[in-house]
Order: sequence, then structure tokens, then C-alpha cells
Amino acid sequence: MKLHKLILTAVAGSLLFVSCSDDDNKDVPSGAYDNGVLILNEGGFLKGNASVSFLSEAAGAEVENDIFSLVNGGGLLGDTAQDMGFNGDLAYIVLNGSNKIEVVNRYTFTGETTISTGLVNPRYIAFANGKAYVTCWGDATVATDDYVAVINLALNTVGATIPVAEGPESIVEENGKLYVAHSGGYNYGNTVSVIDASSNTVTKSITVGDVPNSLELENGNLYVLCGGVPSWGGTETAGELNVISLNNNTVTKTLDFAAATHPSNLVIEDNNIFYTIDNGVYSTPIASGSLPASPLFTTADQGVYGIYGFAVEDGLIYVADAGDYNAAGKIYIYSAAGVLQNDYVVGVIPSGFYFND
Amino acid sequence: MILKRSTLLILLFLCQYLTAQNDTIILKGIIISDTQLNNFSDSQSVQKLNDSVIGRNAASLTSLLNYNTNIYFKENGLGMVSSPSFRGTTASQTAVVWNGININSQLNGQTDFNVLNTRDFNNISVRAGGGSVAYGSSAIGGSIHLNNDLSFGNRFNNSLRTDYGSFNTVGVNYHVVAATEDFTANAGISHNSSDNDYDYQGTNKTNENGQYYNTSLNIGIAYRLNQKNILRFYGYLFDGERHFSGTLAAPSRSKYQSTDSRNLVEWSGYYGKFTSRLKGAYLYEKYKYYENYKNDLYTNGNVKTYIARYDLTYDVSETIKLNTILDYTHNNGEGSDIIHKKRDIGSASLLMKHELTKRFKYELGVRKEITDSYESPVLFSLGINTLINRFYTIKLNASRNFRIPTYNDLYWAGSGNPELKPESSYQAELGNEFRFKGLTLSVTGYYIKMRDMLQWTPGTNGIWSPGNVGKSKSYGVESILNWNKKLGTGNVAVTGTYAYTISRKDESDKQLIYVPLHKTTASVAYSYKNASVYYRHLFNGEVFTSSDNKYSLDPYNVGSAGTEYTIKALKGIDVGVQVNNVWDEKYLAYEVRPMPGRNYTMYLNFKF
Repeated sequence: MKLHKLILTAVAGSLLFVSCSDDDNKDVPSGAYDNGVLILNEGGFLKGNASVSFLSEAAGAEVENDIFSLVNGGGLLGDTAQDMGFNGDLAYIVLNGSNKIEVVNRYTFTGETTISTGLVNPRYIAFANGKAYVTCWGDATVATDDYVAVINLALNTVGATIPVAEGPESIVEENGKLYVAHSGGYNYGNTVSVIDASSNTVTKSITVGDVPNSLELENGNLYVLCGGVPSWGGTETAGELNVISLNNNTVTKTLDFAAATHPSNLVIEDNNIFYTIDNGVYSTPIASGSLPASPLFTTADQGVYGIYGFAVEDGLIYVADAGDYNAAGKIYIYSAAGVLQNDYVVGVIPSGFYFND
Repeated sequence: MILKRSTLLILLFLCQYLTAQNDTIILKGIIISDTQLNNFSDSQSVQKLNDSVIGRNAASLTSLLNYNTNIYFKENGLGMVSSPSFRGTTASQTAVVWNGININSQLNGQTDFNVLNTRDFNNISVRAGGGSVAYGSSAIGGSIHLNNDLSFGNRFNNSLRTDYGSFNTVGVNYHVVAATEDFTANAGISHNSSDNDYDYQGTNKTNENGQYYNTSLNIGIAYRLNQKNILRFYGYLFDGERHFSGTLAAPSRSKYQSTDSRNLVEWSGYYGKFTSRLKGAYLYEKYKYYENYKNDLYTNGNVKTYIARYDLTYDVSETIKLNTILDYTHNNGEGSDIIHKKRDIGSASLLMKHELTKRFKYELGVRKEITDSYESPVLFSLGINTLINRFYTIKLNASRNFRIPTYNDLYWAGSGNPELKPESSYQAELGNEFRFKGLTLSVTGYYIKMRDMLQWTPGTNGIWSPGNVGKSKSYGVESILNWNKKLGTGNVAVTGTYAYTISRKDESDKQLIYVPLHKTTASVAYSYKNASVYYRHLFNGEVFTSSDNKYSLDPYNVGSAGTEYTIKALKGIDVGVQVNNVWDEKYLAYEVRPMPGRNYTMYLNFKF
């Protein structure tokens, strides 16, 4: 019976497989995460596999993955890491799916505390007046329960909440004022809220393009990149770049993208504006006052679908590739001219770069 | 969420035995609706789980099949969404057939194996391998058959079973059979509920927001008009609410309500060499999903399905049987996320069985579907069953099968792709069946080649949409063992299954996610007079949770033990106790969702 042979082969083969599948040796954490970039890996929703990777700026450095877990006795970081903010020696990791913030020492990644009360669908974090401001969606299906949680950093508790319009997303601070982009959550927003940190109240709502997805502060201006309503969202609209003067909180300039164009990932670095559209990286001097027609480069050669995370720092361009959103993702580092310098395998769904100097 | 029951005599046949029932069903007085399972499955492995096995397991189909068959389950925590992988395929490549009707959801193409109560059926069979010619979409890895067999003959029997277990898990099932020589009615009602708040071993967390309840109502009626004509009705209504539990890393406040109604009327006529069956079915599925159970906002979907089918069998001679099936299916689906669409599918199948000699028979089948919703391939199947000697039978089967795109795939607002083709497979298997005294062993090797795989992938614009992308293959070996032995006045029954599965995308050496290389089950039962004891065991090998095989879940061993005693009162009262996860194994069947440690169930079953 040939099948008997097949079974024997199968069984023997399977034993071989088992013997080969021993666990990898657990890495020893270096515990030294200064002078390099921390990469936040979002992880899959409800998969609990958010993680942080570290890449030292030292020449020839290899990426160190899963540092939170390695430093903190194998503990899970949490579910869907959305953002990380630095304040003093501490890093605050916002875990959307876990409704919590993990507070760690930003240089050693030793866990300090966990803030897990008062945060429902937390998204992004900024700091002002000795407090942390965290945008929260509340229930994503409820349009009216969105808020900004104000965390007392001495107590690490949510002390106040500021009700805001639906879908507060990116948040930045300047001069005691917080600027919140309302991408709209499950719907589509088109405003930026201004919050006065001294009174914790919304002092103004500024209308911008549809679905503002990223904010940058530069020279007394707030740059707001709006992705526009996507094709599946009803009436599709194109992206816009709005410039808001912080003197009077009004839009002083708007640059329109072509129809059906949906930019994201705004970065301003060294007097240049960077953003991405699909797999293209675009750049233009702030002074140019117009949008470039063609990309600086594309990530097509690397097979990157859409650019999931993006940063520009010290003349290098960082791209995060979520791949199939299930396997370990990759990051690519390009020169200012768009020439690939290096790539690294990181955690699942890399989404953000945080330069730790 | 899940586990549990039984009787003395039944122990003899504990669990599955491989069966090639003959098709003289009317003579035996048992009427079944799924005739293809009996008539055209000789070249494949059919594993039948009888009453006693069903009774000894928890009410969910997941538990029953996980502990007794080669099918692997990806269960999102006890009682939560549960999807099978049969021969390395996916949940949507496994058909669930209720009294002959395919009941996979039109919305997502699958059946959630935790929203079917096994106690509502008296015959559950697992047919491995391709079956699209007879059962349509999704019968690629195999099909699960949930049947309510009816029989005539004067009687009036009732049973009332109550289960109570850890985590405040309560089950009640009442069943009545009333029959005369020309009329039979079976009815059952089940209610299950659980707080399902078990501890996550080794942590200070519990399974929060995992509570569920469900009620199902099940009816089977047959009326013999005369010697040649029988009218039948089958109805199954399931209504349940589950909270979706949190994980080790994330809390949850979501809940899910679903209602499924399945109705089938059938007129069978037995006219000499012709058997004619005219069927009409109405299926209704509906769900509501609440992100937060505390408020009343939800997303929803529902599909109504109407089926008209004519099934004609012609016994050309003593040895040749022909069967044609004409089927017309109309779906009408809508929901908060899908475009309201109607779709019509017509199909014609022709099946043939020829018993060339006493020892050699072959089966042929062909099917073609016509619809304006997608292009459908011609499906076929060829099979051989040859009895080498008293102890040994060889089965050979080759077929082409398919899985049609679902409502979600085609009509999801903004992302659906109306240009999709069905995914299809070419597959072959070689089965060996050995019988020796009380021992039955089957060993089947198979190979499945899938093409036009339906998958959702992100585009460069970040939009996820479905496409016919890629090819894959699965191959492996399945074996099923049964052994029964009389020991003095007692009986020993041993069963075991083992599956070795390789499943990969073409041009990849990575195992597909959530397909274990190895899975084994075993059970031993001993019965003596009115008492029985049993133990069953499940070993599940490592499963990868990511496509790069970088992340995985550890293998696990879970055992459960039970005992039952039948008191001679009324028509019998069974008293049973079970210890589930006896070794208190700490394990996960899905990422960050631990399963419960050691827990207990007890039950009483009054027959009167």
C-alpha cells in the first residue's frame, strides 16, 4: 500500500517539522533607546499585538523589535497602538483598542504606569500646561460623545474632559493652545478645534477641507492636510492643504489637489513640505506656494501598497509598509533624493516614527 | 463559549462510524431529506455522529466536531465566533447542509459553528471532500450535514434535558416525537445561556462581556398521503444574542444578535423506478451588531432566500441509479453596509451511480449554474468504490468544486467588487477503509488545488477590496479509527482521528494561517449495565497567526472526562457529570483569547 508509505512519510516528516520549530532564542533587550528612532507598530485590531521597535542612529545598527515586551517581562503592550507622545523622560503610548495609555521611560522603556480609566477609543496625544490632552472618539458609532481627555500628569488620571465635534484625531500644541483635527471618525469631518489649555474649553472651530488627517506647526502657521472624502464615502471630494494663521486662527491659504486625489502624512522639515499620495512621496518648498505635479519618488520598487507611516528627519525619509496587515511589516529609509538606503523588518502594521534624542 | 451526555446501548456505537448506508430508506421507515448523502457518497468518507455522541458534547457544533472529527476550529474564545478549517481550507470553503439545503450565510459565505444547537438534530454527518455537484457553493474542504431523520410507527416519546455547568452555563432541551403509521411529528426547543465569565488562567483577568443566550425551535413533520406520496415540513428557528468578549489586551462592549429561520416543504413521490422530490425552501438570516450594548446603535444585514428544487431519481436497473436536480435560488439581501441587491441562480445537476459488480461501483456527477451575478464553471465529480476483500475497501474521488462570491464580496458599499468570479478547486482523494471485527479504520490522502481565491486585499489607495487573487493548495492525510469490543457484560469503544495538513499559497513555503499541521482526537468509553465512563482528548498542533509564519499559537492538549448513569424510572433518566479541560491546560485557540481552564457540567435527561 503506497498510502502506508505516505503516512509513514507524513508522520516522520511531521516529527521533523516539530523538531525544527523550536522557539527562537528570546532577545535580550538593550534597554538603551536614546539616539535613534522608535517605531510604533499598531498591530491588528483585536489581535493584541501592538509593539514598539527601535533603530539606533549608530552606523550599522540593527533594529530591535518588541522592546516593550522584552523590557517588561514579556507583558503585552496592548491592542492597536495609535500614537506615542514624549513629555520629559516619559513616553506615552496610546492604545486605541485597549482604551489605555502605557507610560514608559522613553530611554529604557521600563513601564512606569498605565492610565486605563476615562479613555474610550483614545487616538492621539499632545501636552500643554503640565497636562496631557488625548483625543477620544468615545463610541465610534455615536457622533456626539467625542471628547478630549485631560490627564493630570502628576496623578496619571483623567481629570477633565472637553466635549468636541465628532472624530477628533491629530492634536498639536502651540503657546498653550491645542489644535485638534476632526477627521470625523466613522463619518467625515472638516474642522479644526482650538482648545485653550488654561480654561480647557474650545475657543474656536475652524472650517478646513474634508477629512483633515495631519497637522504641522511652522513659523506661526498651522498646516492642515485634508485627505478629502474617499470614493466609498458618498460624494468623493479631493484633498486640500490649508494654512491657518495662528494670530487670528483663520485659513489664510488653501491649495487644492486634483480630483480624486487623497493625500496624507503631512510633514514639514527644513522648509519643505512633504506628504504622500498612495505610494508616492511628494515634496515642495514651503515658499513655492503650489503643489508639485509629480512625486519626488515612489515606493513601487519596494512593493509598498500605500504608505502607512511616514517621517522626514535629518535629511532622511522614513516609510512604513504595513504589507498584508498580518505579517511583520517593514520600514524603508530613503535619502532626501529618494534613493533607498536601508530596510528593516519591524512589528505588525508599523504606523509611526518617533525620534528619540 | 462551550461542552457535554448519553445511554447504555448507544455506547456500543459511541461516536462516529464510517458508514455507507444503503439507500432503501423508505423500507427502513426512516425518511431523510438529504438523499445525496446516502446515495452519492460511496466514494468519499462520511463520518456519522449519532445521538449519543451529540449528547455527550456541549450544545455547540464547534465542540461536537472539534472533539470528534478531523476538522480544526478557530474559536474566538468559548462560544464566540467559530470558523472551521476542513482539510486546510477556510470556513467559507466548508458547506453546512441542513436537511439537504445549503445554509451557509449569503452575507459572508460561512456558518458560525457556535450558532447552531447540536441537540436540535438527530443525525449529524461529516462528509469529507468535494461536494459542490450535489450541495453547491462551499463544499470544497467538505460538508457538515445536519439532519432531522423522521420515521413512522406508533409512539409518543418525550425527553427533557437540563444541563448546568461552570460559569452559570444553563441548557434546557425538550424534545417530543409523536407518530402513527402515517404521520410523524418531531419537535424540539432548546435554550442555552451562559455568563461565560471564566478566569484567564495565570492572569488576574476574566473573560469579560462574553455572556450569551440563544433559543432554537425545531420541527419535523411527515404525512404519508398514501403508499406513494409523502408530504414533509422541516422548520428551524434560531435566535440568539452574544456579547463579543474582550481579549487579554482589549476590553469589549459589543454584542451581536442573530436570527436564522429555515423552512423546507417537500413532496416526495415513489413511483416504481422513479422517486420524485419537489422542494420549496425559505431561508431568512438577519444580524445586528452593536459596538456598545449600552446604546441602541447598530449595523445590520439580512438576506431572504427562496429555493425551488426538483429532484428526480430514476433506478434504471438494480445497479444503475440516476439523479437529476434542478434548482432555482433567489436571494434578496440588504443591510447597513451592503447595496440592496437581488440575485437569481439556476442550476442543474446530474448524478449517476453504477454498481458494476458486487465489489465495484462508480459515481459520476456534473453541475452547471447559470446566473447573471458571476461566471460559473462546470463542476464535476467522479468516484470509485471497490471492495478488495472483506476487510478492505478502496475509495477514489476526483471533483471540481466552487465557492461563489458572497453578498459582502460583491455588494459591500464602496468596496465590493461585482466583477468577481467564484473561486474553484480541482481535487482528488484516495481513501482506504479497513474493517476487522469491531475495528474500522479509514485513511484518506487528498490533494486540493484552489484557484481564483477570493480575498480582500488593500490597494495602493489604502482601500480594501475583494479580488480573485492567487492560487493555493492543500494536501494531507486524514484517518479515523473506531473500535468496539465486548468485555464480559461491558463494552469498550475507542475512537480516534488524526489529520496531517499542509496548506500553502502557490510559490510560498509558508503554511496558511490557522491551519494546524497536526490535529488528533481520541476517546475511550466503557459501559457496564446502566453506567458508563468516558474520556476524550484533543491535541491541536501549533497554528501560525501571520502569513509570514513569524507569529504562532502554541500547541495544546485538552482532555475531558465524564460519567453517566441511567436510572430505570419513567422511560429512563440519565444522570451525567463531566469535567472539561481536566488537565487544566492553559491554551488559546485564537490570538489573545484564552479558553477556560478546568470546568464542570452536569445534566439530567428525563425520558417519558
